[in-house]
Amino acid sequence: MGIVHLALVRDEDRDPDARREPDTGGATPQRVRLADAALRCIAGQGIAKTTLDDVARAAGCSRATVYRVFPGGKDGLMAAVIDTEVARFFSALAVRMGAAGNLEDVLVVGMHEAAVRITEHPGLSYLFDHEPEVVLPHLAFSHMDSLLDVSGTFTAPFLGRWLDHDEAKRVAEWAARVVISHLLCPADGVDLTDEARVRRLVRTFILPSGGTLTADGAERPAADAGRIDRLSHSQRSTKGEAS
Amino acid sequence: MAGVDGDTRQRILEATYVCVARWGLSKTTVEDAARQAGLSRATVYRYFPGGRDELVDAVVSWQYLRFFGRLYEEVHGATSLEEVLERGLLFARRQLLEHEVLQMVVQTEPEVLLPKLTVETNRTVGLISGFLVPYLHEHGLPEGLEVHEAADFLARMILSYISAPGRWDLADPEQVRTLVRVELLPGVVGDTQIVDK
Repeated sequence: MGIVHLALVRDEDRDPDARREPDTGGATPQRVRLADAALRCIAGQGIAKTTLDDVARAAGCSRATVYRVFPGGKDGLMAAVIDTEVARFFSALAVRMGAAGNLEDVLVVGMHEAAVRITEHPGLSYLFDHEPEVVLPHLAFSHMDSLLDVSGTFTAPFLGRWLDHDEAKRVAEWAARVVISHLLCPADGVDLTDEARVRRLVRTFILPSGGTLTADGAERPAADAGRIDRLSHSQRSTKGEAS
Repeated sequence: MAGVDGDTRQRILEATYVCVARWGLSKTTVEDAARQAGLSRATVYRYFPGGRDELVDAVVSWQYLRFFGRLYEEVHGATSLEEVLERGLLFARRQLLEHEVLQMVVQTEPEVLLPKLTVETNRTVGLISGFLVPYLHEHGLPEGLEVHEAADFLARMILSYISAPGRWDLADPEQVRTLVRVELLPGVVGDTQIVDK
């Protein structure tokens, strides 16, 4: 059972209830209420020790109710926790990035919001500290590739206002990579929950290439824009042939 | 005496590695390692008082260092930052995919391996970054960018690409070349420094 099981991201589409906040008066707020109770349990004692009894107690309902809503038991409940948290995470990112007025800001607020939400997430913090074996396998090798793909696909449209489609996908994945790398392996003096620090990172390492790749190219010296554009075209065509 | 001790330790590590390749990280015991090494359990415990856990950690560290030792051998003669990055990424990714024991353990026991690898990764960022510093000095940096900041960024990105290349095909030298020029170099060397070869 993994907390960042990305196959579950797709479940949000099939199960709109998982997105709903408890108080919106949706048809089955019960699902989210139980997922939130489970999250409180995870934040206090981790996944391994959390039982359905604990969750029922935290939600103020009976064990039978938990089983009625989640016939699959603990696995189904944990999947709902992930669904709910992933949906909240991406919704929060969308709100911040949608309001940004330029490429630099959209990257800064997106990366900052992601870092803050991941760092301050009560369940994830507990798991990183006490049950790393549950989380870390999802943040390396092929699972990490999936995570980059999902994050890049989600973020790209927000960059698409300033970058063409392929460049938006590339830069989106790159930004996700930078965030994940710094969260997994913190660098001295680089605290991504500090927005000014994120801005420096974006300006220093991402924009010198990303800005060059804007569709209009206006921000960059023409000669350089042409050169890196050519590079990005060769990348594009290679990808095109592969797919 | 120290040499003999080192040899025995090494012999135990190699024997343990054979066991891990056969049975995985979780199922390998001190007994297995001792038998494989042709030593007594007491001898193994003398070198690894923490027993099984210490032994398995030591094997992961040893293999990890070997991996980066080979990477160092591959790139240390490179004459430019671009060359270091390109050769390093190509070589490391290929090594990783061809490392059969690693691939097996990643598939079968990620929950055991990944916490150990993460500990090693934190150390490695410093090693790679230290290796890159002279190349960055030689290249020159954009104004306002500290060499250690640049080196740290490159090091963690390299580790990230090696482990999960995402949309990049690191078996293709042309793509690696593009990746280095588009995602690694522009920030650390400044636009004007990137010239076509």
